[in-house]
Amino acid sequence: MFFKLFLFLPLAAAALASANSQKVFPFDYVQEDLPSGLRLITIPTDYPNIVALFIVVRTGSRNEVEPGHTGFAHLFEHMMFRGTEKFPAEKYTEALARAGAASNAFTTDDFTAYHTTFSKEDLDRLLMMEADRFQNLKYTEPQFKTEALAVLGEYNKSSADPASKLFEALQETAFERHTYRHTTMGFLKDIQDMPNQYDYSLKFFDRYYRPEYTTIIVAGDVQPKNVRGLVDKYWSGWKRGRYQAEIPPEPPQEAPRANHVDWPRPTLPWVVVAYHGPAYTDTAKDSAALDALGDLAFSRNSDLYQKLVIHEQKVDVLRGANEDHVDPSLFAVEARVKKAEDMNYVRGQILETVKTFAATPVAADRLEAMKKRLRYSFSLRLDNSQAIAATAARYVALRGTPETINRIYDIYAQLTPEDIQQMARKYLTENNRTIVTLTGAAAGGAR
Amino acid sequence: MIKVLAVLLLASSAFAQIRMVTLPGKGPLVSFRIVFLTGAASDPEGKAGLADLTASMLAQGGTKDLTYKQIVDAMYPMATSVSYQVDKEMTTFSGTTHVDNLDAFYKLFRSMLLEPGWREDDFKRLKDDAINYLRVGLRGNNDEELGKEVLYNVIYEGTPFGHESAGDLSALEKMTIDDVKQFYLDHYTRRDLIVGIAGGYPHAFVAQLTKDFGKLPDTRVSRPRPSQPKPIPHSRALLVDKNTRSVAYSIGFPITVTRKTPGYPELLVVQAYFGQHRISMGRLYQRMRELRGLNYGDYAYIEYFPRGMYQLEPSPNLARQQQIFQIWIRPVEPPTAKFALRLALYELDKLVKQGLSEEEFERSRDFVSKYVTLLTKTKNAQLGYAIDSAYYGIPDYVTYIRSALAKMTREDVNRAIRSHLRSDRLQIVAVTKNAEDLKNRLVSDAPSPMTYNSAKPPEILEEDKIVENWKLNLRPEDVRIIPVDQVFE
Repeated sequence: MFFKLFLFLPLAAAALASANSQKVFPFDYVQEDLPSGLRLITIPTDYPNIVALFIVVRTGSRNEVEPGHTGFAHLFEHMMFRGTEKFPAEKYTEALARAGAASNAFTTDDFTAYHTTFSKEDLDRLLMMEADRFQNLKYTEPQFKTEALAVLGEYNKSSADPASKLFEALQETAFERHTYRHTTMGFLKDIQDMPNQYDYSLKFFDRYYRPEYTTIIVAGDVQPKNVRGLVDKYWSGWKRGRYQAEIPPEPPQEAPRANHVDWPRPTLPWVVVAYHGPAYTDTAKDSAALDALGDLAFSRNSDLYQKLVIHEQKVDVLRGANEDHVDPSLFAVEARVKKAEDMNYVRGQILETVKTFAATPVAADRLEAMKKRLRYSFSLRLDNSQAIAATAARYVALRGTPETINRIYDIYAQLTPEDIQQMARKYLTENNRTIVTLTGAAAGGAR
Repeated sequence: MIKVLAVLLLASSAFAQIRMVTLPGKGPLVSFRIVFLTGAASDPEGKAGLADLTASMLAQGGTKDLTYKQIVDAMYPMATSVSYQVDKEMTTFSGTTHVDNLDAFYKLFRSMLLEPGWREDDFKRLKDDAINYLRVGLRGNNDEELGKEVLYNVIYEGTPFGHESAGDLSALEKMTIDDVKQFYLDHYTRRDLIVGIAGGYPHAFVAQLTKDFGKLPDTRVSRPRPSQPKPIPHSRALLVDKNTRSVAYSIGFPITVTRKTPGYPELLVVQAYFGQHRISMGRLYQRMRELRGLNYGDYAYIEYFPRGMYQLEPSPNLARQQQIFQIWIRPVEPPTAKFALRLALYELDKLVKQGLSEEEFERSRDFVSKYVTLLTKTKNAQLGYAIDSAYYGIPDYVTYIRSALAKMTREDVNRAIRSHLRSDRLQIVAVTKNAEDLKNRLVSDAPSPMTYNSAKPPEILEEDKIVENWKLNLRPEDVRIIPVDQVFE
């Protein structure tokens, strides 16, 4: 179970880093596929009473292949709360309220997740209600139009933050064909047109809310046999679909790109330097090595962070990461700069750091410290059933199984300084690069 | 399971007491929460933000022996860090470590709190951070949090609660490292300390904590007495004028209920019914968002709950002797801004006049009874709640609430509504562009009819006829406008 990994492991870093050390995702979970293609993953944990249910649909803004429909996966996440004949929205909400359940959902580029945390005695009822809405969702056109406005409200509440505009511009510049070109929220014009897309919404449900796209994750005070029985009882009537989106691959980038955002209000300037990176993989070192590079080159203890944030104090936010995605996505370094006149300098420093990592292997002791950090950071995260289910959900969205966590952490453990150098050379090249900057209307920030 | 200990120890000159909250457990993680009963309410005159800046110097600066870089490097392989939170009456330092690294982490944590380095370059960086948090983070990028903070500041104007905890820009610009050192000397005392530890630590660790933190001075600090905010004689509005897309509202008034007073469990049920945070069951959410699509969500609070746009559950250790009742209306499109406000106040009025039906009471009570257990699903959260319970002098939070709920009747809840809530004498805050225009609309009694993009049931249209004429009772002299670049100055 959860505790054996670290309690019985020798303290030495070498053991933590060894390829054959015990599993980083240490739970005795059960993974089963129903004939319909629906997958069930049950993760018993030692945390009493509470159960976390995550339903992952492997559909996100990545699947929005048709023009004019960006943001639709996210809109659909909203629609899923609009009820069925058996459980109209008010009744569904009331039943959740009676269960004291914390329920919510979110959409990403690659997937949509519906999550509810509750007491174990409500498991039967919750699985029944979820099965009902995934199979029998029913909403009227007026309800659809009203919900589309709530999505606009969501856009509005985020629109005060320049970071959302910055990333919109980054994705639009770095991608030409792939659907990662638009954010999960979608283009504003498409959001404003959503109320007119009722028919398309029905098509969307019919295409993607199907068992072959879906995984149910149940973590907490549960027994796999019991959960399987309930899932058979409530979910086995769900029919497999046939649709598969053809997601246009992104052609190789042939020259560096740049873009700039003029923010209409005072704010601090941003510099983002991004490169086309690999898709998430647990069978090669590519994405793992870039994860490591992001940490070694740009996290709080990196040389560049110490220089720009702590000593020179020209920057107040610096981070770099290779985000896990189903398809090749971006490795991005972001810096918030205190004074606009330092933007060129900061951009130069980021590019210089990237060059250094491509030219020289990183020090072995730093890499070992990072490997230790990765494992501790993972175990610190898994401190309750909801967090365990949420973590599993993220990886299930990428590879269909939590086992991929153990595989990717095994790869982290095997990384050498040369691997990181090699991946820096392979991906962080000039032709692969997009730089986006943002400046505010007048100098904001500290004087 | 939760032990609140007053550990006696022999200090150099006298017997001193340290309040300890310990939650031993079997897991591989150990969480610390070190709480000083001081905060922004203790900022000296003209030095708004000093408590916050002092805490940041401890949590994000070097110690006597180590630079901040050395601390970051040492914590890096442990994947841990120290965070801090400064509220009006509580300053909290927290960190969680794997038990493998307990000794190494604790050594760093202890020296950060007990042997600060007071370096000028740390001070400069953290002062910049504080200024940028106010100017860019709050004023620039987050209309909703801005509105909430302005609401608190205007309600408590003229009292020790009446300024932003992160400070005022003019005060921060003038602050020196000597101010910070002095604040630390004056306020970081063992009398004002609650030491919390939870998780799989060895038993003997508690004695170590007691010994180390027992070295803090035993000074008695005079705390500002919580003075009542000035009464709000007549509903009023403060409009923050900002070039922004939509209109964000926060509305509230002071209440006398806190966790230690009667009425708290009842108001918790009311909060769940009327506007449970980020949960769709609330009345406001249902009427404003679900039925009418006015915005992304609408909620109500009986305790301070910062960062609600990022958090589904409240942070512990924000205990206060005074709270307000608050309504949060997420940004609405400008043309519907008046209607949205009217609808929220119409619903509030209905709540105050009619209370909850038996069915609404039972549903909300059942919700709270189960939901409270989710609030403490991690050991770290349990520790935070246990410290707050020690502060308020109430039993274990979950037990306290559930036993109150078991005895509660609908009449108890409706009595609490009548005693503590109201629908007049409100403070309204809006973050909006064209504030002058919104002001003119709000002070006029003209109807604000709502149009929809789809057919609505007749009962909604009927209700809208009442709402569109709902009296806001705002006179021109009750509506003030402040340009955003003057907020927190």
